[in-house]
Parts: sequence; structure tokens; C-alpha cells
Amino acid sequence: MTARLTADELSALMKKGAGITVDAATLERDPETPFEVYGLDSLGLLGIVGELENRYGRALPPDADRCKTPREFLDLVNDSLMAGA
Amino acid sequence: MSKDRARRPVITGIGVVAPGGVGTDAFWKNAREGVSSLDHVTREGCGHLPLRVAGEVRGFDPEAQVEQRYLVQTDRFSHFAMAAADMALADAGFAADALARDPYAVGVVTAAGSGGGEFGQRELQRLWGQGSTYVGPYQSIAWFYAASTGQISIRGGFKGPCGVVASDEAGGLDAVAHAAAAVRRGTGTVVVGSAEAPLAPYSIVCQLGYRELSCVEEPERAYRPFTPQACGFVPAEGGAMLVVEDEGAARRRGAPVRAEVAGHAATFTGASRWEESREGLARAIRGALEQAGCAPEEVDVVFADALGLPEADRAEALALADALGPHGSRVPVTAPKTGTGRAYCGAPVLDTAAAVLAMEHGLVPPTPHVHEVCHDLALVTGRARPAELRTALVLSRGLMGSNAALVVRRAV
Repeated sequence: MTARLTADELSALMKKGAGITVDAATLERDPETPFEVYGLDSLGLLGIVGELENRYGRALPPDADRCKTPREFLDLVNDSLMAGA
Repeated sequence: MSKDRARRPVITGIGVVAPGGVGTDAFWKNAREGVSSLDHVTREGCGHLPLRVAGEVRGFDPEAQVEQRYLVQTDRFSHFAMAAADMALADAGFAADALARDPYAVGVVTAAGSGGGEFGQRELQRLWGQGSTYVGPYQSIAWFYAASTGQISIRGGFKGPCGVVASDEAGGLDAVAHAAAAVRRGTGTVVVGSAEAPLAPYSIVCQLGYRELSCVEEPERAYRPFTPQACGFVPAEGGAMLVVEDEGAARRRGAPVRAEVAGHAATFTGASRWEESREGLARAIRGALEQAGCAPEEVDVVFADALGLPEADRAEALALADALGPHGSRVPVTAPKTGTGRAYCGAPVLDTAAAVLAMEHGLVPPTPHVHEVCHDLALVTGRARPAELRTALVLSRGLMGSNAALVVRRAV
């Protein structure tokens, strides 16, 4: 596993954890579209954060589940992974 | 209810997810023909449990009925409820977006008796098998009794008065009364009913302590109320959702007015105190008839609670005699639920749906598996009985002591 969260992985997590289908290309092309527009609610994002914490074996920043957009979330997670590497 | 005739709550739509059929047509066909859907328990992980027979909903494809984002965050009982709500709204003639124009005019009421046991079990297994960080966040909402009301209203965008009735099995009827009251107070439309999914390992184990539960091996012998062989009840999953709205509004939009929700009353006589349920049920019947402005002789058919324990069956027969007088032993009584099992709060809503369909078709459906009746009741067995039906009385009791009666009348 890469120590970097990609749009592909985020797309898969949204599908698995929250039942929301958004392809990776859409997330990459328009990373500022809020999660809310896709129907991902706060519990859905919380589930994705939990899944990633289990996967990486460490905590993400406490405000990870409050991110509004894919870009915000990817930046925060990847900065955190980078800092911890 | 008879006091305020300005707004009259009527049933305009029915949606059913029941053992033996998804959809009202399949449900009514089975009920009318006395086809039983009781069968051996096949749900995963249940094979070693002493409950052998149940009414399982088979052939229900959640993915074909409900969007994935709602499926992942809900239990099977909410899947049933969302699908049944869609069917009821379509049956009532509402286009998918018609209600979105005035979301505050639409409310949702559901009753629940067991909540999301299957979802909860899966998450609890993760908790104790893998650790707390493996429990998904939707555990916080999916198991909860209120989940179906919440999800139906979120999914439909409904913002009117919502409610959740947790008053035991008879709560299915209390929910319908709650919806009728909301309509009388001014709410345009209420989506109301109950669906349950108590056939998963954890949920079944929770029921094994009920002495009323039948653990008989043979489907045709497991649930035979009102007979000398009565040995308890068979549980089931599924249920029904109804659309209740003001009669005037329904007629103005050209919707089919199926039946009036005319009267309801509920009482409580304590868990498993079946002898005492006689008085409780009789009082509920009297109260419901009074609200409906209906004389005992006007009741054309009774959908019995039919618990299937000799003392409970006796109490119900006596309650009918107490409340209806000599008419109690003459009026056709039926219990189609012996062919589906008891879906807890969903059961009396299925009976309400069956009562409306029976009035529309002029047919009292039979009571499957029941042949030798040992109470002073005109129980319809064998095959459906043609009859002019204008008023139906639906009865329900819960294992925890609730009793309720609902009067529905054919719309004229």
C-alpha cells in the first residue's frame, strides 16, 4: 500500500463505506465539489476516517472528519501521512 | 374521531413486503387463496437455533429497491420499510417528485418492536472480534427503533410531523391512529406503517425466551391459533406501509380513496397476562367503535390477533363476545397471519392492508393451517368467503401487554 491516499482509493472508500458512487476521475477533475453534493454525510466521512486509521495503524488529525471537500480531505490526510513518515 | 368531520383521514396507498410476496398483489393473492409462506428457517447463522419455522421474506432484492447510500447505513428492517413506503406512495398516485413541492405537508410515522438486530449484531461482532475502531459509524443510527421513520423522511425529503411508536406489537395500529390524528390536525399526507426484520441470529435468540414462541418443526403445525393444537406463534419479517391523507385533498387530486381510518383505541394489561388481555382488548374494541360511531352489529369482519396460545386465544374470543355481544360469535373472523407468521409491529399493519383489500374485493381471506376451531367464533377457514364488507375491525396484542383495535371503513 502506498503511504499516500489517492483519488482512486478515496472513490473506493466512498463506495464501500457510504454506498456513494463517484469515479476517481470526477474527484480529480473537480476536487472542490463538496462531499455533501455527492450525498456523503458526516457519518460517512467519519467511517472513511476510521477505515484509514485502521489501515495506516495510526490516528489522523481530529478534524479529518470535518473536511468539506475531497481536496481538503486528501491534502489533510496526505500531509499527515507525510509528517508521520 | 366522529366529532371532527372537517378532515377525514383515509388510506390512499398500500405498500407491502411480506413473506410470500413483495408488492400488494402478491400479498393479496396469497391471503385470498390461503397460501402459506411458513417454512423452515434458512437465514444464515440460524440453523442451530431451536426456532425451526418462520415467515421469511424471500425474493426481496434491496439493491433493486433502494439506493446504495441508504442501504449501507440501514438494517434490513429499514430496507423493507423504505421499499414499502415507495410502493405505497406510488399506489397512492404520487409521482416521485410530487411531494417535494411542499415537504412540510408530508410526515412519516413508523412502529418498531425489534429494531435493526442484524446490523447491530454485525457491528458488535466487529467490536469484540477486532476492536472498537472497527465499528462503523452507522451503528449509531441503524439499529435504532426510529431508523425507518428517519430514513424514509430523509430519502423522500419529507419535513412534516414525524413519529416513532414503540408500544409493542399493537404499536402497528397505534401508528396508524397517530397518522390519522396528524391528518386531522392538518398535515396533508402521512406515510405510516411498520416493517420488521427479526430473523437474524441475535434477534432470534432474543425471542427464544418467549413462552409464546412456537418451536414446532413442521410448518403446517407450528401456528394454529383457536384450535386444540394451538402451540404458540411463528415469527415473521416484513410489514406494510400506508399512505394516509385527508379525504378532501385525496379526492381533489383524483386519488383512489381506499378506506377511512375511522376509530382506534389502545389499552395495556401487562406482559403475557393473557387472561387479563380479555378486558383490555374488549375495552380497546369498544373505544375504537365509539370513535368510529359504529355499532357492534356494523362490524362485517374481524382480523384477529390470533396469538396461538390457548389462554390468549380464549381471551380474544371472550373479548369479542364482551364487546360485540351475540354478534361476536356470528361475524366472520379471520387470521391470514397464520400463513405469514407474526411480523411483530408489522403484523397488524399487514392485517390493516388485508382488511382494506378484503373490503375492496368483497372477500374474507381464510386462516391457513387452521381446521378445528375450539372457540365460539365464526373463523373463516379453508377458502375465502365472499361477503359485502363495509367495516373491518383489526385487533392486535403484544407480548409485553399492549392491546389495540382499529376500525377501517370502506370509503363511499
